[in-house]
Amino acid sequence: MTRKIILAVAIGIGVGYFIPSGYILPYTDIIIDIGLCFLLFFVGMDIGKNKEVLNKIRRIGFRILLIPIMIIIGSIGGSIFAGYLLGLPLNESGAVGAGLGWYSLSAMILANYSAKLSALAFISNVTREIIALTTIPFIAKYIGDLESVAPAGATSMDTSLPVISNATNPQTTIIAFINGVILSIAVPFLVSFMIKI
Amino acid sequence: MGIRLLLYLAILILGALVGYKQLGSSKVDCNLSKIQSISLLFLLFVMGVKMGLDDRVISSFLELGFQAIIISAFSIFFSVLLVKSVKGYITKDSKKGRQKNDS
Repeated sequence: MTRKIILAVAIGIGVGYFIPSGYILPYTDIIIDIGLCFLLFFVGMDIGKNKEVLNKIRRIGFRILLIPIMIIIGSIGGSIFAGYLLGLPLNESGAVGAGLGWYSLSAMILANYSAKLSALAFISNVTREIIALTTIPFIAKYIGDLESVAPAGATSMDTSLPVISNATNPQTTIIAFINGVILSIAVPFLVSFMIKI
Repeated sequence: MGIRLLLYLAILILGALVGYKQLGSSKVDCNLSKIQSISLLFLLFVMGVKMGLDDRVISSFLELGFQAIIISAFSIFFSVLLVKSVKGYITKDSKKGRQKNDS
């Protein structure tokens, strides 16, 4: 599946780059929205068929919150470490990592600070989404189901959720959705906080 | 984001109800994973098209691509590592439950 996912994204980027934007650009958002709703419905069906899944989640309880907390610490810590290697100010690289894959919002918040940092936040979080989409099946297979939620960051409640569902199980899918909601709420606060440090 | 979140949640719950009550046709049920895979690949293709159409993606990538790859790769690496470090604690009860069921 990983190979098919990489191919689908790569061919899509190639097609998007070479065709005139006027033909399809107005329709991409609506196609993605409809496609996502369609997929989420099937993901829901899959969850509904596994009647034990909600009991399993209840058994985990509040420990579920450790996943978004670890993703936040890992993302910001990782980007600060990368920033250190690249010679970037730590608050700037931390703010880029605090986008957690939500490229439009993180770029928008950082636009007031600097246009170049906003562009870096945008492209870093686009790259994170592409890496996430292509590595989730691999991580789920060779490292673990819960770990496969981590690359998706805030997108684990929408664009990455079908990939996670396809590569894991209904229990991890619900955890991924909850994780995505928490991280999406946290992104605006984290980016603003990091840049002010 | 609020309305979108509610929409996604409503669709997931609707799908879960259909799955739970087994209201879907058996044909759809049997081919659920195939339908999901095909829809997923199509969705990823369209998402790729959207990225390719966005001039900012290509121009920013040419200028800042190396930094972006390093930052996103380390962010992902550390996130996976930290989630792995707490996984045992998060799933300890479900493992116990499974062991009980097994014995």
